[in-house]
Amino acid sequence: MSDAGALAFMRRLREGLDAGLELPEALSRGAAALPRDARDTLERVLRRLEGEHEDDEWGFDEDFTDLVEPFFGFLYDRWWRVKVEGAHRVPAHGRALLASNHAGILPWDATMISVALTREHPLPRHPRFLVLNWAFDLPWVSALIRKVGGVVASPYNALRLLEQDHLVAVFPEGVKGTGKPFAERYRLQRFGRGGFVEIALRAGAPIVPVAVVGSEEIYPKLADVPAVARVIGAPFFPVTPTFPWLGPLGVVPLPSRWRIEFCEPIDTARYGPDAAGDRSLVLELTEQVRDTVQQAVYANLLRRGSAFV
Amino acid sequence: MAGRRVLITGVGSYLGTLLAARLEEDPSFERIVGLDTRAPRRQLGRTELIEADIRDPSIAPLIAGAEVDTVVHNSIVRQPGPGMSARAMHDINVIGSLQLLSACGQSPTIRAIVIRGSAGIYGSEPHAPQFFGEEMTRMFPLRTRFQRDVGEIENYFETYSRRHPEITCTMLRYQPAIGPSLATQITRYLSQPACPTYLGFDPRIQLVHEADALDSLVAAIKRPVRGAVNVAARGTIGLARMIRMAHRPMLPIVGPLFGPVTDVGRRLGFDSYSDDFRRLLRYGRGVDITRLEQEVGHRPRYSTTEAVRDWVAAA
Repeated sequence: MSDAGALAFMRRLREGLDAGLELPEALSRGAAALPRDARDTLERVLRRLEGEHEDDEWGFDEDFTDLVEPFFGFLYDRWWRVKVEGAHRVPAHGRALLASNHAGILPWDATMISVALTREHPLPRHPRFLVLNWAFDLPWVSALIRKVGGVVASPYNALRLLEQDHLVAVFPEGVKGTGKPFAERYRLQRFGRGGFVEIALRAGAPIVPVAVVGSEEIYPKLADVPAVARVIGAPFFPVTPTFPWLGPLGVVPLPSRWRIEFCEPIDTARYGPDAAGDRSLVLELTEQVRDTVQQAVYANLLRRGSAFV
Repeated sequence: MAGRRVLITGVGSYLGTLLAARLEEDPSFERIVGLDTRAPRRQLGRTELIEADIRDPSIAPLIAGAEVDTVVHNSIVRQPGPGMSARAMHDINVIGSLQLLSACGQSPTIRAIVIRGSAGIYGSEPHAPQFFGEEMTRMFPLRTRFQRDVGEIENYFETYSRRHPEITCTMLRYQPAIGPSLATQITRYLSQPACPTYLGFDPRIQLVHEADALDSLVAAIKRPVRGAVNVAARGTIGLARMIRMAHRPMLPIVGPLFGPVTDVGRRLGFDSYSDDFRRLLRYGRGVDITRLEQEVGHRPRYSTTEAVRDWVAAA
């Protein structure tokens, strides 16, 4: 926004308020002085104040997601300088399950996968992601995560989303992935009991293994204080070079360099939905996905070179 | 099948009166009997009214004497109104349902029982799946008094249903209702000068429009299915958006202070908040309505957003 535009906006806003208008009306009158894109944004915000925006039955709010995109876009372009490979391998329509490695207590990796798909995919789509239950106890975090497409990590949610032909991202390492110390970075944890494979089989959704490199350096966890974690009800309480020493500033992630690779999808439809009950097949596919992600993580670590510069 | 003969408990409630009036218009219902201690909300035609309290064992001969084939249990109290203690609510809900079921056991003509229950049995939980299916009642502990009441009613009902395989027992689990002619906790909440919310929480709320609440009940009477069925509008709405649509200011309150602040509000004459409603305002709740649409055969006409819009337009 140009300085002149901003000044004109403020002047009109003050005139409107002096004339006894309500704030929303004064804002929309002032908006006439703004450049087009800023005017659009302001009008959108005003519309939201009237409750005239749509959220779907999951609480996903596309309008809101677009409004906050510049922030995540900044992280994507400037802060983490994300490089993406293989975005075209993600199916352009219909159901699919993204299975990714995971690090850090806040789901930054999920947001970067989301930005990667809206930027690099030939037919951009917003993925929905399963988020650790604990996040939904927290004020603001819970509301925010839901608005940008996060849901409680429940198999019922995953199945329903897939049946509605959504793109669903899961982090099968779960809390084991987020809580591992820095020394074990990029070593994938056990993929649970393969619940995500069962769901993919039942829904007939292809599984796309995703490798994310860079997320392990944003909050290098040096130690854990279980006593504090118990008190606040968190799965663990990390100590990083900046947290909790710098207070709220410690939540700012370090600017590592990132790479995201979407690997070749694994077809599950050919086994049929009944295969979800076949333990050995489920475990075999789970292992296959885990292997693929681990290999891709190592390959991308080499390709990335140094972590920060 | 000859004409249906239906008995409705709680005919003096808003929905009970509307249901009786609706069945009166339908010639396939030969006989309609209304049971309540209160008079119906408006003049009814051919409905035969019985003044009796379902907590009283003497209803058994009355119900047997009515020779009905279907009993609609519509007297479950969702929140204690003015002049009703929590104890009285518990008695009406639990003892009343128990008496009613035992009375039904003594009436050989009964083929179907439809209960207007509550989706409150699922609770409002931060870690819950976003849409509860009918089989998910035991995922979380029953935390509030009302939940335990509903849990008890459902238990009696399940046992009864197992012991009487010849009777089709339908448990309708209703989400909170909204509509221009209803006065429920949610409409009172949205009519206040400001709506208290939990600071930092914006839960998904799912409601049911009064027209769909009635139509679902009629559909379940016409086509009883075994077991529980969720009744709700399609889709959910964020609490903040709902309050904005009602043109009310939000009053965000830090979690631990929500109880004390609303208690002060109650002393000053504002509405009181049940534990269930507080949890709903914090965590919300959604249910899956596939069974209602496909088995009972009622497709809700209003989505949750449309139901709120309809109420706002009329208010």
